[in-house]
Amino acid sequence: MDWSILLDPLILSELVFQGLVRGSMYALMGIGLSLIFGILGIVNFAHGEQFMIGTYCMYFVAAVLGLPFIAGILFAGVVLFFVGMAIERGLVEPLRRRAGRDWLVDSFVLTIGLMVVLQNLAQIVFGTRRRGVTTLLPGSFEIAGITITYERLAIFLTALAVVGLLFLFIRFTALGKAIRATAQHAEAAQTLGIDIARIYTIGFGLGAALAGIAGALLISIFPAFPTVGYQPVLKSFAVVIIGGLGNIPGAIAAGYLLGVVEAYAIFLLSAGWQAVLTPLLIVLVLIFRPQGLFTVQGERP
Amino acid sequence: MALEIVDLEVGYSREVPILRGVNLCARDGLVTVVIGPNGAGKSTLLRAIYGYLRPSRGDILHEGRSIRGRTPHQMLDEGIALLLQGRSIFPAMTVEENLELGGWTIRRDRARLRQAFEEIYARFPVLKERRHDPAGALSGGQQRMLELARITMTRPRTLLLDEPSVGLMPKLVDEVYEEIAKLKEERFTILMVDQNVKKAIEIADYVYVLNLGENSHHGPVESFRDRLEDIVREWL
Repeated sequence: MDWSILLDPLILSELVFQGLVRGSMYALMGIGLSLIFGILGIVNFAHGEQFMIGTYCMYFVAAVLGLPFIAGILFAGVVLFFVGMAIERGLVEPLRRRAGRDWLVDSFVLTIGLMVVLQNLAQIVFGTRRRGVTTLLPGSFEIAGITITYERLAIFLTALAVVGLLFLFIRFTALGKAIRATAQHAEAAQTLGIDIARIYTIGFGLGAALAGIAGALLISIFPAFPTVGYQPVLKSFAVVIIGGLGNIPGAIAAGYLLGVVEAYAIFLLSAGWQAVLTPLLIVLVLIFRPQGLFTVQGERP
Repeated sequence: MALEIVDLEVGYSREVPILRGVNLCARDGLVTVVIGPNGAGKSTLLRAIYGYLRPSRGDILHEGRSIRGRTPHQMLDEGIALLLQGRSIFPAMTVEENLELGGWTIRRDRARLRQAFEEIYARFPVLKERRHDPAGALSGGQQRMLELARITMTRPRTLLLDEPSVGLMPKLVDEVYEEIAKLKEERFTILMVDQNVKKAIEIADYVYVLNLGENSHHGPVESFRDRLEDIVREWL
């Protein structure tokens, strides 16, 4: 192939933008997974199913009700926040009460089981037909020779806004500080009067809401169907491994990085090799920097 | 009587209690020290008082009210604070954020929170100097000061201290006990569990000895000074 196209600034910036759009989803998914792990110590295998519920939320709002896409984002975020809190209160919390040392394995079994149940429930309720929205926002514009669709721009900006709001929330609000404190030393947080059971519930709700927002945002790429969460959840695991498990800024950086790397891979590599690149990246990170690319050793969120 | 433990039985499983009917009193404004060999149930006692463990028998009274069955996060509102054993700072948060979380239960009372910060910074100038640094960057001794400062933000009346000097360099150990002596001067009621018997006795007013989950001796510190070596020898 002609490698000189790599030097073409138009193609470069086009690929970077595509990568950032793709990375928006990875970042949202990765942060959600990382948040839940950082606070509760749970690897949430049902994270993809929360994405799936988000796609159905968006389909309902945009295609059935015909409301603007921002309503779908809000709806998905709110629904998944409550779904996440219900999962935590109803399933995780009782398990935590009983489980001691086997907590990690128990939580694996629980969330994998939840994944299967939610997929099948969706199949019973909605069937297997794919329900998509071809374009959320029609139209495009051109800037410096690159064509950017309004939809892609909206995906990118919405994700950026959500990530930004979450960052400000965690960083500056009292509740955000209590969440960080619980992630860093739950017992100490408890001695200071923080109701950590409540923090766990809110944390799980937030993580689920992020997955739901990701699903809602990407409905034109991932239409709603019961097992749509499969690919996004794999990517979000890639993101948390690359960024460092439980490390939220790491997940943001790794999400966008992975998006850009994949955009280049899709453009430059043949179909067979595209699928190899991400796992290869994971293997390399696990060999050379198992704590994640962006984690300072011994640091927690 | 600030804190009264009556016939307390508690354990991690019902069949094997760690504490088997312990009785104990911590008097207002005094330092009460609990000593005993490893496995005597000293830390379990503090964890049971603070609501981490459910007693199967007995009662815990604070200022005359039963606090049995309360959860740990309700204890500061009862006026009781616990210094956990080992490192308990939030390492990736700043010193100031750590203190702010110490004031979690008074977070809506801005004036009181501001005053608490002023008092703490006056007492620990080094914490003020380093208030924007991550707490994890402090030295071991400074971290312990931060932990002590953090549990006193809301001016609780009773402090439970679990092995306050364990794991610190000898020079820092003295600093920690000096700080506890200052807290005593400020009339906090202190119930301290300690392996460092010598140091603990120096600031104690009243001493309890636990052994195998039961009371073995107790009395004012004066009555212990001469008997101490005999008691410690019994444990070996």
